[in-house]
Amino acid sequence: MEIVVKGFTKHFGDTAVIENMNLTVKDGEMLALLGPSGCGKSTTLFAICGIHKMDAGQVLFGDRDVTHVPAQQRNVGMVFQSYALYPHMTVFQNIAFPLTVRRESKVDIKRKVMEIADLVYIGELLERRPAQLSGGQQQRVSLARALIRRPGVLMLDEPLANLDARLRLEMRSELRRIQQETGIAAILVTHDQVEAMSICDRIAIMDQGKILQIATPAEMYQRPVNSFVAGFLGDPPISFLDGVVRQGILVLQGDADDTIPLPEHISGQPDGKVLRLGVRPEHYQPHFPTKVKGAVVFVEMQGREILFDVKLSNGDLLRSVQAASSQFKLGDTVEWGVDPAQILVFDDHGTRL
Amino acid sequence: MSVSARLGILFLAPALIFVTLFFFAPVVLTGVFSFTNMSTATGITGGAYQVTSNVLRQLADEGFEKSTLDRLGAKSYVVSAQALVVATTEGVVDKAVLVELESKHLGKTYQSRRDFERFLKKLKNRPRSTRDLKKISPYFRASLMGQRFESEEVLFAMLASLDLGLPDPQMRHVARASYTGWVWGTGNFKRMFSLGDNLRVLRNTGIYVVATLLLFNTGFALVLAIATFYLPGRHSAFFRGLWLLPRITPPVLYVLLWKWLAWDTGFINTILANFDIQSRNWMLDTGANAWLFVVLINGFVGASMGMIIFASAIKAIPQTMLHASEVDGANRWQQIRHIILPQIKWPIMFITVYQTLSLLTSFEYIWLSTDGGPGTSTEVWALAAFHAALDNYWGNLQYGYGAALALVLVVIGVVMSLIYLRLFNFDALITRPRIEQ
Amino acid sequence: MVGHSRNWPVIAGLGLISIPLLVMYIYLFVDTVTDSPAGSVLPNRFTLEHWRFLTEGIEGKGNIWKVTLNTAIFASVTTTVVLLVSSMAGYALSRLNVPMRRYFLAGVLMLHAFPSVTLIIAIFLILQMVGLYNTLIGVILVKSTLELPLGIWIMKGFYDTVPWEIEMAGIVDGASRFRVWRSLVLPQVQPGIVALGVFSFLAGWSEYVLPQVLAPSSNVQVLSVYLASLIADDQHFDFNLFKSVGMFYIIPVIILYIFFQNKLMNIYGGGIKG
Ligand SMILES: Nc1ncnc2c1ncn2[C@@H]1O[C@H](COP(=O)(O)OP(=O)(O)O)[C@@H](O)[C@H]1O
Ligand SMILES: [Mg+2]
Repeated sequence: MEIVVKGFTKHFGDTAVIENMNLTVKDGEMLALLGPSGCGKSTTLFAICGIHKMDAGQVLFGDRDVTHVPAQQRNVGMVFQSYALYPHMTVFQNIAFPLTVRRESKVDIKRKVMEIADLVYIGELLERRPAQLSGGQQQRVSLARALIRRPGVLMLDEPLANLDARLRLEMRSELRRIQQETGIAAILVTHDQVEAMSICDRIAIMDQGKILQIATPAEMYQRPVNSFVAGFLGDPPISFLDGVVRQGILVLQGDADDTIPLPEHISGQPDGKVLRLGVRPEHYQPHFPTKVKGAVVFVEMQGREILFDVKLSNGDLLRSVQAASSQFKLGDTVEWGVDPAQILVFDDHGTRL
Repeated sequence: MSVSARLGILFLAPALIFVTLFFFAPVVLTGVFSFTNMSTATGITGGAYQVTSNVLRQLADEGFEKSTLDRLGAKSYVVSAQALVVATTEGVVDKAVLVELESKHLGKTYQSRRDFERFLKKLKNRPRSTRDLKKISPYFRASLMGQRFESEEVLFAMLASLDLGLPDPQMRHVARASYTGWVWGTGNFKRMFSLGDNLRVLRNTGIYVVATLLLFNTGFALVLAIATFYLPGRHSAFFRGLWLLPRITPPVLYVLLWKWLAWDTGFINTILANFDIQSRNWMLDTGANAWLFVVLINGFVGASMGMIIFASAIKAIPQTMLHASEVDGANRWQQIRHIILPQIKWPIMFITVYQTLSLLTSFEYIWLSTDGGPGTSTEVWALAAFHAALDNYWGNLQYGYGAALALVLVVIGVVMSLIYLRLFNFDALITRPRIEQ
Repeated sequence: MVGHSRNWPVIAGLGLISIPLLVMYIYLFVDTVTDSPAGSVLPNRFTLEHWRFLTEGIEGKGNIWKVTLNTAIFASVTTTVVLLVSSMAGYALSRLNVPMRRYFLAGVLMLHAFPSVTLIIAIFLILQMVGLYNTLIGVILVKSTLELPLGIWIMKGFYDTVPWEIEMAGIVDGASRFRVWRSLVLPQVQPGIVALGVFSFLAGWSEYVLPQVLAPSSNVQVLSVYLASLIADDQHFDFNLFKSVGMFYIIPVIILYIFFQNKLMNIYGGGIKG
């Protein structure tokens, strides 16, 4: 089922938290709602599932306008960050609750619970109580409860945030497997770009209540609409260099010595225009042509790779990620190059040119 | 209206009904009753009109003429036109008699029933049997004394039949004076402010509240909370448990235990007998001793609430703060003065307000122990109100006056609970519901 | 930070002030099963004689078992009413979008501090007017109402600690708000219900002023009134008997106190910390 949000606006008191948001989740896809904490991701989810009222706008589930349908009748499945399992019920009762509320027969309930328990691998835990489960197991139970009545859409509000690093990786792929096996459209809310990029079909990136861009992870990584998106995606993050255009060349701020030629597709910029360049660490390497000089001020060994921070003469930083075999050391003066084709250029409003 | 608003109102409804009936209504009615003279004598529903010798005395004081009052008070039988009309319409008495009375004897007055009936026997058309004769006289009875009239109209009709020639205002005056039910008035307040005893009661209340509050409800409560904070777990649990006992013991039993301690044959006297000290009732022998016991009895109960609140506030002080002060070489006393006390300033304030209010209005323990005695030396305001309205020796319970005394406390209660409300960070208590349905 | 050597003066000081309490409560028990010679506080023999009132009754007084039953009915019905009404109202104030919720909450807080005894004169007259004077129902209604502000406040505090996500999950799962309350939220506040229940029961069990003033008639007598009338009555002046009746009266209290001491501490502290 396709989910469409049109013109959604939400205020809390006087502050507008979401302003005129439009969003479409295609049937069967997993969409990430990505953004920093407090940008309005949960608020969006709550509006879609009916926990919050919308001040303006519409929500469509397929052809059905559910804007004024109460949450109980929207048939959405939701997994909370805290899992929100019912502590006084067994795992079985937890998963069965949505069906019990609908007064389905005992036999049906039992069959469906068994099915879904097998899907999420918790068949042996059914008689336990939530307090007797590990974080990952609770997560699976919560997922089973959300899926049991075959919801039109599955919503996951930071489902991995409370897990430790290893479990997070495991559950990440589990979420994807289960979503794909059931074929239910899903919205994954997260502030972790790695999570969003690794398991979602598309990403909607949000900041301060607005969606900045909706695109596939690769598209968004390569062609971010603005410097915020560029900065949010990528680990280690992109480096920014500010400067002014002089005869088709960018003169970096502060120190007139450092210049970087603008990429070809950005030609024709008037002199004096303020621009910002974005260079990802993988595009600042010893072998690239456009050389930029600096000193290595920070080295971080990450196992397979080494991360370098290079300080330019005007004080700006450029990051570089190189294979662990790289021989450079802290304090070295280096003259590495930037891949001109991969430079991202933003105007003074942050919009990519 | 939203689903949850409807459910919310439904869920609040029972509480609202209860609270309206037994909280708000009593508050309002305390005000209303205080402007009446309700008492056992007047009853709490309506009344009737009855001229009694008391009423006559009152009317005399208020300047009624002696002759009028004599007529009001006289027991007489009068052949009046009005009585004749009544008797004729009711048709119990033989017409002929009435006709004769009307034509020949109109206006004649007799001082007693015997005289009147003797006169009747002499009539030409007199009834044959004595029984019929006796039926005649009630119609002509012209005395008001002791008769109950259910409404003002009936009373006025009766007054008219006496031919007193009273002007209207005076008639109404008589009606007012003879009414037995309760009436509106500000008499309770005049009495409250003029009664010298109330000044003493007021002073007692002050002593009671201040002494109990300072010595126990905050004072000793603080000592307990701080001392048990420093004591090892076992000891502190013992003392806290012990000091909560008075609070959970039913008041009747708790006061009984104090009586056993203090009375003539009680524990104190038995001990003191070994030192040849005359046995006596320590609780009631002198005003000073009575006060001692009143404060002890209330204080031993009242210390627990402060103890609990202060103890949990002290426990909430960050350990690092206390450790730091120990590293700085502060001794316990300095730690208490400079860290603990300032940190629990708000709880102390809170308890002070809350306990002032509850002490000001409590009377249960005093009622059970000294009952305000000896004399009125431990009578406090709340107890005085209670005594006046619901429990006094004379049996005439003065609801109206009691309500007026209670009204003072109600007003103080409202004001102080508003202050209490201010002590809460109210906005933090009402976060916006996160489910909008 | 606890040095034992420094503790004994504190213990001695507290102990000294606690002597009256210790003496009273120890002798409350001792005197019910012993006799002491006149003029001595040391018992000289063990006896169960003071407990004869349980089987033989006390001359001129009502049946103690009937009185106990009245007390139990009074306390348990009051508890039931308080629990029902406060668990509903507390939820509404904690979680539902009730109009004027702010004012209701302020009202509860004010009543929480408001001295209810001052209302007894008006309540007495109201009960007389509506014909509930001298009935157990009348006292129950009044006692329940006076306990409500604290009860609602306590329950609201407990509801406040229930995670919103549980309720959100419930309504997304298709349950009505009422169902969510009954099946999902109420079980989470069970400790609050137990604590408030015990507290209300004890409050009802101990209450003296209300039954004495509002229902003095002998057929609705409760234990507090019974004991008070025994003490007031000159014919049976016998502290051992009083204490035995008192002991009988306080046994359920002590049992509940031992089991629920920690929970009660919180409520006797005014329930200020939910
Ligand atoms: N019930 C509420 N009342 C007032 N402000 C709220 C409420 N819920 C959320 N907000 C505000 O709305 C913004 C978005 O919140 P939320 O959607 O929870 O962010 P997140 O993206 O971290 O999930 C935040 O600034 C938050 O403070
Ligand atoms: Mg969130």
